[in-house]
Amino acid sequence: MKSNISTELLVDSHVKFIQSLGEDRDLTYHLTTHLRMNAVYWAVTALCIMGRKEALDREQMIDFVLSCWDDEAGGFGSHPGHDAHLLSTLSAIQILTIQDAVDRMDVPRVVKFISSLQTSSGTFAGDHYGETDTRFSYCAINALSLLDMKYLTPGTAVIDVDKVIDHISRCRNFDGGFGSGVGAESHAGQVWVCLAALSILGRLDIVDEKTLGWWLAERQLPNGGLNGRPEKLEDVCYSFWVLSSLSILRKLHWINRDALISFILSAQDPDDGGIADRPGDMCDVFHTLFGIAGLSLLGYPNLQDIDPVYCMPAKLIEKKGLKKTWLALPRHLS
Amino acid sequence: MSVNYNKNSPSIKTRYAKLHQKENKNYTPETLSLTSQLLSINPEFYTIWNYRRQILTEGIFPLKSATEVNDLITADLNLTMSALRQNPKVYWVWNHRRWCLEHVPENPGEDQSNWRKMSWVKELRVIESFLDADPRNFHAWNYRRYVLQSPYVDHTWEQELNYTTRKIESNFSNFSAWHQRSKVYTSLWERGINDEELKSIKNQEFNLIKQAIYTDPGDQSIWLYHRWLVGEGKDEELLRREIEMIEELLSIEPDRCLDTLIHYKTLLLRHRYSLKDRDECITLSSRLRQLDPFRDGRYQDIANELLSMPNN
Ligand SMILES: [Zn+2]
Repeated sequence: MKSNISTELLVDSHVKFIQSLGEDRDLTYHLTTHLRMNAVYWAVTALCIMGRKEALDREQMIDFVLSCWDDEAGGFGSHPGHDAHLLSTLSAIQILTIQDAVDRMDVPRVVKFISSLQTSSGTFAGDHYGETDTRFSYCAINALSLLDMKYLTPGTAVIDVDKVIDHISRCRNFDGGFGSGVGAESHAGQVWVCLAALSILGRLDIVDEKTLGWWLAERQLPNGGLNGRPEKLEDVCYSFWVLSSLSILRKLHWINRDALISFILSAQDPDDGGIADRPGDMCDVFHTLFGIAGLSLLGYPNLQDIDPVYCMPAKLIEKKGLKKTWLALPRHLS
Repeated sequence: MSVNYNKNSPSIKTRYAKLHQKENKNYTPETLSLTSQLLSINPEFYTIWNYRRQILTEGIFPLKSATEVNDLITADLNLTMSALRQNPKVYWVWNHRRWCLEHVPENPGEDQSNWRKMSWVKELRVIESFLDADPRNFHAWNYRRYVLQSPYVDHTWEQELNYTTRKIESNFSNFSAWHQRSKVYTSLWERGINDEELKSIKNQEFNLIKQAIYTDPGDQSIWLYHRWLVGEGKDEELLRREIEMIEELLSIEPDRCLDTLIHYKTLLLRHRYSLKDRDECITLSSRLRQLDPFRDGRYQDIANELLSMPNN
């Protein structure tokens, strides 16, 4: 375990850490190809929030995204040669949106791919092999809204929006939270995807805000970190899932800001950069993004705003006219 | 199966590249065994799971007898089992296991559903062993609910309730089991039971929670469940009884009890408003602010809401 615990965000180290991710093509690189597209999205979003978007080459990134096109399915896979999946397709659309290059992909085919994945119960499958999950409903809603709100608007909608909402409401539990499917236990990650989808669709009215807000606030543990379910360990990635959910409910002041900031900062690697799930563990780009995104929502100084509904730069989402009613904590000056 | 590799070995790359000649539609037993090797190295290669299912359904099953197909499915169930033993939280593996179950062939003999029934019933035991190892694994719980929905599985709501009781009694903080209980009851209530039955079930349930609360009053899960049972507090008698129980407990674990006490007293205020009772709630909430400063913002909101509560 590292002894020198940082008390501030090591922006330069994290930028270097992110830049180094693609360089070393060792075994780990090859064992994580199934996550590559998501990793690029995590990397570029983290850089945007730190105000260092240009640290990764734009053209190279766009070329990579386009090279993951699965022409048989009409969507994006996680790596060249991998099958199309909704998770990687959303990441591809998010990256191209951030790089202002959506016109470089075949939008009508992607829209068709996404809408073909809605099942008769209203939820979405991740691909044509049929695994369903509220995560995939969110991916579909998020992706379609980024491409054009008309795909979700009555009259021009390409999916059955009411059925999605009905399905999400059936995934609601007695604790106010949501699970991955009907009957499944509440989990902070699933709570976030359901709230974010409902927020995009303007249907937060079906949420029991008080009970869910209580459940979310109780995710903070005495060490300041947040867990994802009762009686579980704290983990930096929940800093985003719990915080963004509270932010969508405009209840971010229901947890302790300073204690959580200290926890996230203590999970940084002061030597090689990056943020881990908890202090002393191996860093990865996933926890690096969600740590930084959490800090941004908490008003940590010198960061760009993140949109908690899309987990993308807030300015960009606002420019696209997609900003919702969420509330982040005011940004501190230092 | 273990595959040896060293950091400089190109084997994964070349094997992977070889598999990616998918345009060739190479659905042979050789490619099938190649997918087994790759999946044992990394069970998260979702494309390889997809490819494996294609090889089986398009290249291999059509050439086999029902018995042979059943054996191949059994082999794949074993493959996912060893993958899940190593990492019980990989979505793709659970997904492939579902696919296997759904592809058990009908046996050609007299008793048409035998193989299928056997596989699904066996699955219930398999899943219990996963939940014994990790009683909070939500993949395993989801899979359990999936198996219970099968027409091949006879399992009554009483049996499922007993199962969750066992899980809860071995650990009162097993939130997954409380959650499952809430689902069993919800489906029971949706089917409709008479008031008498409902009352007796609820009373039984309050007794179980009381034990749990006295064991660990600091566990939020139990309070959530308690609040769910009390609901909007339409039964005033019950509400008063539970408030009394909490007030007794208050000296042991004020923190969590206070939160629910304020909640119930606020419900009571909706039945019968009095300034004195409202002020008591506000006093309780400021006590809570001192006890639990992390969530100060929430308690402040609760106090503000009490202040602006209409006094009808
Ligand atoms: Zn994590």
